[in-house]
Amino acid sequence: MAGVASTLAKKRALAAGFGTNANAVKYLNQDFHSLRAQSQSQGALFCDPTFAAAPESLGFKDLGRNSPKTRGVTWKRPTELVSSPEFIIGGATRTDICQGGLGDCWLLAAIASLTLNEDVMARVVPSDQDFGDQYAGIFHFQFWQYGEWVDVVIDDRLPVKDGELLFVHSAEGREFWSALLEKAYAKVCGCYEALSGGSTTEGFEDFTGGIAENFDLQNAPPNMFQIVKKALEAGSLLGCSIDITSASDSEAVTRQKLVKGHAYSLTGAVEVGYRGRREKLIRVRNPWGQVEWTGAWSDGSSEWNSVEGECPNANAEDGEFWMSFTEFMRHYSRIEICTLTPDTILDDSIKHWSVGKFDGTWRKGSTAGGCRNNPYTFWTNPQFVIKLNEEDDDPEDGEEGCSVVLGLIQKNRRKMRKSGEDMHTIGFAIYELPEQFHGQTQVHLDKNFFLTHAQKARSETFINLREVSTRFKLPPGEYLVVPSTYEAHLNGDFCIRVFSEKQSQTIPCDDPVEADLVDEEVSDEDVDAGFRGLFTKLAGDDMEISYVELRNILNKIVSKRTDIKTDGFCCETCRVMVNLLDDSGNGKLGLGEFATLWKKVQKYLTIYKQNDGDNSGTMSTPELRVALKTAGFTLNNAIYQMLVCRYAEPDMTMDFDNFVACLMRLEMMFRIFQKLDPEDSGTVEVTLDQWLNIAMV
Amino acid sequence: QFVPSEPPPPRRPLAYAEHNESEEDVKFRRVFKQLAGEDMEVSPKELMDILNKIISKHAALKTDGFSIESCRSMVAVMDSDSTGKLGFHEFKYLWNNIKKWQGVYLNFDQDGSGVISGEELPGAFTAAGFPLNDQLCQMIVRRYSDESGNLDFDNYIGCLVRLDAMCRAFKTLDKDNNGTIKVNVKEWLQLTMYS
Repeated sequence: MAGVASTLAKKRALAAGFGTNANAVKYLNQDFHSLRAQSQSQGALFCDPTFAAAPESLGFKDLGRNSPKTRGVTWKRPTELVSSPEFIIGGATRTDICQGGLGDCWLLAAIASLTLNEDVMARVVPSDQDFGDQYAGIFHFQFWQYGEWVDVVIDDRLPVKDGELLFVHSAEGREFWSALLEKAYAKVCGCYEALSGGSTTEGFEDFTGGIAENFDLQNAPPNMFQIVKKALEAGSLLGCSIDITSASDSEAVTRQKLVKGHAYSLTGAVEVGYRGRREKLIRVRNPWGQVEWTGAWSDGSSEWNSVEGECPNANAEDGEFWMSFTEFMRHYSRIEICTLTPDTILDDSIKHWSVGKFDGTWRKGSTAGGCRNNPYTFWTNPQFVIKLNEEDDDPEDGEEGCSVVLGLIQKNRRKMRKSGEDMHTIGFAIYELPEQFHGQTQVHLDKNFFLTHAQKARSETFINLREVSTRFKLPPGEYLVVPSTYEAHLNGDFCIRVFSEKQSQTIPCDDPVEADLVDEEVSDEDVDAGFRGLFTKLAGDDMEISYVELRNILNKIVSKRTDIKTDGFCCETCRVMVNLLDDSGNGKLGLGEFATLWKKVQKYLTIYKQNDGDNSGTMSTPELRVALKTAGFTLNNAIYQMLVCRYAEPDMTMDFDNFVACLMRLEMMFRIFQKLDPEDSGTVEVTLDQWLNIAMV
Repeated sequence: QFVPSEPPPPRRPLAYAEHNESEEDVKFRRVFKQLAGEDMEVSPKELMDILNKIISKHAALKTDGFSIESCRSMVAVMDSDSTGKLGFHEFKYLWNNIKKWQGVYLNFDQDGSGVISGEELPGAFTAAGFPLNDQLCQMIVRRYSDESGNLDFDNYIGCLVRLDAMCRAFKTLDKDNNGTIKVNVKEWLQLTMYS
C-alpha cells in the first residue's frame, strides 16, 4: 500500500513533466545547488555520503577490496593533483578523453562522440560549474535513464594510483570534466567496475535518450556510407568495432594497428577527389588517445598528396585517423548509430522523427508470459498498438512503406550485476491488428488470437543485451507489439520506444478496469425457510455469525469436496469477509448478510470449477485472468500483477480459499468505489478518516 | 494528527548500500543475509518463520502465531514493485517498527494479561504514533480483535503495520496537503487490493 502509493505518486509526477532534461529527477534526492550552497556556507568541500571515496565505489571483484588492481589507490581532488585544474578548457574536445585502467572503452567512445554535438553535450554536462569562485568540491551531470533524465551529484574525489588518475583522464592533464563525468556514471551504475564491458550504444543512449541501431558490416545495406554521413549530419552519435573470435583476441592489435574487441568512435565521413575519381573516407577515433591505423590514408600517408580540391587533415598522434571507406568495411565488423530523439536536436534543418515511449513490467505468474514458444502464457505479456498513418517521403531504397525503429530496453539490470543477476534474454513480436480491433485502445488480445494468427515481423533475435532494437518497413496500418523475455515467469521492468519517420501513434493496450456487478444482496425477508433453519443451527444463540463460526462452516463444506483444493479458510480471511459484508457494523453477520455471503461463495465456486481447465482443483494464474472475466471483472496488467502476487502460491496456482478472498475483496472495493462516485465521474476524493475506514478492513 | 515514522529509504544499488553503515546496521545486515537467503529478499513465508521464531521466545506476548495470510498482507502493504518480497531496507523498517511496537504492547498491557484489551487499545495506539478517534477505534477492535474483544500480539502487529502503511500511502498521495486524496478506479484498486 505505502509502496504502491509511492509508485503511483511517482507516475503522477512523471505525467506532470518531471524527468525531462529541463526538469530532471534528482538522483537519490540530492539537489546540486542546495548542496553546493551548503558546502560553501560551511566552508568545507562536499563529501558525497551516497558514493563514498571507499573501495566499495571502485568495484566488487577485479576492482574489489584488496584486489591487486586497487592496491595503493587513494582518492584525491583535482586541486590536490594539479596546481590549477580546469573543468573544461576551450570547450569539450575528443582529446579530453583518454582511457584509464578500466574496460570501459565503450563508454569513452560514447563520450568522445558526445563532444561532437554541442547541444547534446550541454545537456549531459551542465555549464554552471567549474573550479572558480563557486567551487565547493561538488559537480553534477545529467543522464537519461530508461525514459527519464536524472541529475546526478558527485564530489570530486577521484581514484588515484602513483599520482595518476586511475581511470579516464584528459590528454591535457589538468582538465577534469571527463573524469568527473565517468565518476557520475559509475555512481548511477553502482560502482566503477560495473562500467566494465558494455556496448557503446548504452552510453550513447544514456547521454542522449536516443535510440541506437546496430549494423553488421558483413550484411551492411548498400547505402551504408550514406547512412553514416546522414547520421553524422543529423547530430547522431556513431561508434564502430572489430569483433573478436576468441577471448584472447580482446584488445589484440593488428599489423596495421587496429585494436580488436575495442570500441571506437566514428567522427567523420567525407568524399574527396583523388586521382580523377571520388574517394570515400571515414574518420575514426581510438579512445586510448593513441594507437592509430597505419595503412592507406593514415596520418601523413602518401595518399594525401594526390587529393584534389578540399582536403581534411589529421596528423596528430591523438588516436584519430582516416581510412578509405572500402578498407574500413573490410576491417571493421559493426557500426552503432544512435538516432537522437526529436527533442534532442534544436536545429530545425534536421528532419525530426516521431517518438513514443512506454514503460511496462513482466511479473512472474501474471504478465511474464515468455516468448511465443509458450502458447499458454504468451498472451499474458503486456501489449502495445502502433498506428502507422503515412508512408515515408521518397524512400532511398526504393521500397514503399513506413520506416519504424522499435527498441525494447530492460531496466536497471547493470545495477544488479553485483548481486549476480545479469541481463534477461529479450525480444518482441509484431502482429497485424485485425480490422475489428482498429481504433480501440482498451483491449488485451487473448490466447486464441495468438494461436490463430501468425506474426508479421519480430525483433532480429532474442538476445541478452540491455536493448533490442530493429528497423522495419511496414505498410500503413495498425500493429500489435508484444515484448517479452525468452523464458516465461521472469520478473523484469522494461521501456519500449517507437521512432518513426512520419507521424505515428503508440498506445499501450490493456483491458479497461471495469466491473459488471449484479445486485445480489439478500434481505432478511427474502431468505427461504430452509436456509433460515440452517442459519439458526449455525449461528447459535446470538443469531449472528462471527468470523470463527464462518470459518468452521466454510471449512466443513470444503473438506467434503475432493474436486477443489484448499488448505482451509484461515481466521484472517474470514475476518475480512465478515467485515466486508457487515453492513450493520456489529462485527458479525446477521441472517441477510450471511445469505448474501453464501450466495457469493456459491457463485465463486461455480466460476472456479468452470475455469479450472485442467481439473487440477486449483487455478493456474493464466486461468485466473479468464476466470475473473467470467466473474464480470476486467482488470489491467498492473492489477493482475498485484492479485497474483498477493493471492497466488509461489508455484503460481491459487487455491479455493484464496480465490474467494480475492474475489470478495475485489467485488467490495469496486462497490465502495461506485458508492463514493455516484455520478460515475471516474475519480473519488476521500479524507484520511474515510480512507482508513475503508483501507483498514 | 498521525505521526507515522519516516518511510524506508528508496532501494539503492547494493554497491553502496553496504558502506557508510553503523555498527548496528552491519550486524543487522549479517542477520538479514541469513534470514533472506540467496536472493536477499524476504518472502511472506520467510517473514512468518522469522516472526514466529521470535515470539516463541517471549512468554509475555500472547499469540496464536502469525499466519501466512497476515504475513502476505504485511509484505503487500510495504512492497513497491509487486514482486511480493521485501528488500533489506523495507525489512529493516518493518523490523524497527515491530521492536518499537512490542515495547508499547508490553507497557500498555496494564493487567499483564498478555493481550491488549479494547480499553487498553486507544492508549497503546496513541503511544505507537496513531491517535485514533472513537469510531476508528471501534472499527479496529471489530476487525482485529478476537471474540472477547482482545488483540493478541500478531493481530496487534498486523493492524499497526497496516495502519502505518495506510497513513503513509495517504500522505504520499496528498501532495498539496489539503487533507484529501483523489484517485481513479485503477489507482483505487491498486491501493486497496494489494494489501
